[in-house]
Amino acid sequence: MTRLARQPGPDPAGSAAAVEAAPDSVLAPDRGALGDGDAAVRVRDLTVSFPTADGPLPAVAGVSLDLARSHITGLVGESGSGKSTLALTLLNAVPPPGHVDGGSVTIEGVGDVLALHGADLRKMRGAEIGYVFQASQNSLNPLKPVGKQLLDLGRSHGERDQRVLLRRARALFDEMGMDAARVLASYQHELSGGMRQRVGIAFALLLNAHVVILDEPTTALDMLTQALVLEIIRKVHATRHLTTLVISHDVGVIGDLADRMAVMYAGRIVEEGPTVQVLAGPRHPYTRGLLTAMPRIAGDVSEARPLPGRPPDLASIPRQGCVFRPRCPLATRACAEAEPPVTVTGEHRFACFVAAQEVS
Amino acid sequence: MQLARKLAAKLVTGLVMIWVVATATFFLVLEMPGNPALAQEAADMQHGMSPAQAASATAVMFGFVPKQPLPDQYRHYLWQLLHFNLGVSIAEEGVPVSHIVASAAPWTVILASFGIIFSFLIGVTLGILTAIRRTTRLADGLTLLGAFINGVPVFVIAIMLVFVFATILAIFPQGGTVSVLETPGWNAGYLGSLVVHAVLPVACYTLAGLGAWQLTSKSSVITVLGDDFILAAELRGLRPLTLARYVARNAMLPLFTILAISFGLMFSGAVFIEEVFNYPGLGELLIASITTKDFPVLDGAFLLIIVAVILANILADLAYPLIDPRIRRS
Repeated sequence: MTRLARQPGPDPAGSAAAVEAAPDSVLAPDRGALGDGDAAVRVRDLTVSFPTADGPLPAVAGVSLDLARSHITGLVGESGSGKSTLALTLLNAVPPPGHVDGGSVTIEGVGDVLALHGADLRKMRGAEIGYVFQASQNSLNPLKPVGKQLLDLGRSHGERDQRVLLRRARALFDEMGMDAARVLASYQHELSGGMRQRVGIAFALLLNAHVVILDEPTTALDMLTQALVLEIIRKVHATRHLTTLVISHDVGVIGDLADRMAVMYAGRIVEEGPTVQVLAGPRHPYTRGLLTAMPRIAGDVSEARPLPGRPPDLASIPRQGCVFRPRCPLATRACAEAEPPVTVTGEHRFACFVAAQEVS
Repeated sequence: MQLARKLAAKLVTGLVMIWVVATATFFLVLEMPGNPALAQEAADMQHGMSPAQAASATAVMFGFVPKQPLPDQYRHYLWQLLHFNLGVSIAEEGVPVSHIVASAAPWTVILASFGIIFSFLIGVTLGILTAIRRTTRLADGLTLLGAFINGVPVFVIAIMLVFVFATILAIFPQGGTVSVLETPGWNAGYLGSLVVHAVLPVACYTLAGLGAWQLTSKSSVITVLGDDFILAAELRGLRPLTLARYVARNAMLPLFTILAISFGLMFSGAVFIEEVFNYPGLGELLIASITTKDFPVLDGAFLLIIVAVILANILADLAYPLIDPRIRRS
């Protein structure tokens, strides 16, 4: 209901993209891959940096990404690649001392998130975007039962009617296959990992957020619980027409869930496109490396080849040229001189000089 | 039912601990050099009493027979203790120890209760402020101040307070509990005088405990602020007030135990302060009875301190599940 009433916010970057409407081409400007009306969340040229001993260094560097409305987008990358910083920036919650150096985040029905502050920002969080933590993280107050915290959440967003809130919470828990009465009366330490994850999802959905971010939703869960949680994510996503972002270091999880996927390396999106296309025909050597590093169920474990080298931290990211160059089997001289621009083929985008030549 | 069993177990352990410490103090105190009962006995004999007369005279005066073998004395002491009889004082001949201790205890309780409450409230407020503004100069300054106050010995604080407020400014009395000019009773003059006399000792107690509370609560709040659930609450858009309550309750947990124990230790904590301000509490009583070798009073005062500490611990143990659900059923 609320979704129909929601007006798209001002979107200068999006309309600019529509005017330029670049055809499939090498060296296209780095726009999101989606058309003007299809994205519920638009990130443009976002740079988030952290002060270090060597001066400010970007954890997210010039990222542009669209989250397709009513679709699941997967974000893959090794730890330290900037996935979580990017996700937190979508809620304008860059952990201090980091700060946004440039770019914009536009959310349908909210507008420019980075321009929000104070009470407006607080009310947007939770009500428009839900954020679900990893199950192993304690995302609830350990001293209060789940039910009371749900009421706190509702009251913080102006919903004073306890019965409405509890009815909604019970419906959510039922939908996720939990004993609602028991969960509402439970403390966090009385819940298993899988239950915690589902409770986290319920907190994200209580206020009918239309965008949901799940940070490593299946990490630290056993295989059966993992499958259950994935199934629940799929279900609530579908029944509520959510725009969902799933962050994971596990390509399998993303391949299982996501309609579109983006691969992040050293603060950059190096490849992005429909999941099927990216998995079947990976362009960027990093994506290819990730895929060959995965052991196949039906194959020999020794066929899985780990990526050479180590993921860079903020200080060891190359300052010039392609950031993946030191670990790249295909690196050429050009890679050392400039950052590769984004190449667009259909709905598939990637940033690599060598792969761009393969395409053209 | 379960609570009753838990309480019973704690009380039994408490009693055993009281017995152990009472035994240890009994022998320690007796081993102190110089025994006034023996000195009295010798003096009596010099004045012409027979040894038997002198012995029975001291026994009447002090309530025990000084030359009895130690095990007999110990058995006698324990037996009397079981009947809540702490014996009689040596320095104030024949006055029951329980009377002496009971008349000193209220002064210490007043002093320490207000001191603990004020130092807790002020210290924790400063600590929260330091934690929230931890990246600012103000916080750095406050932390430094807290560490400094924490490091200054309590008797130095006491002497400084007397020097500034009683000697130079002369706005508060130097010591004592009440002006002798006032008529004791529920009249404004007497009560006002009590308050005025308590200001400096309480301020001293407060200052002495302040730094520790500030530093502990600061680190506790910072730990909680870094917890995942606080970030989660922020990302869910919880109201600042709700968020503050989440932080406060979680940060209070470690402080609660310390608070309970400091209430238990209150009877022993004011020795220096009472000495400087000439405040007739248990601290002063302890010092006085050490100088006069008043064994029974020493034993009695120590016993009170032990019982208070053990009781405070038992109460803290019993109350903790009420404030932390995580240890309720395990």
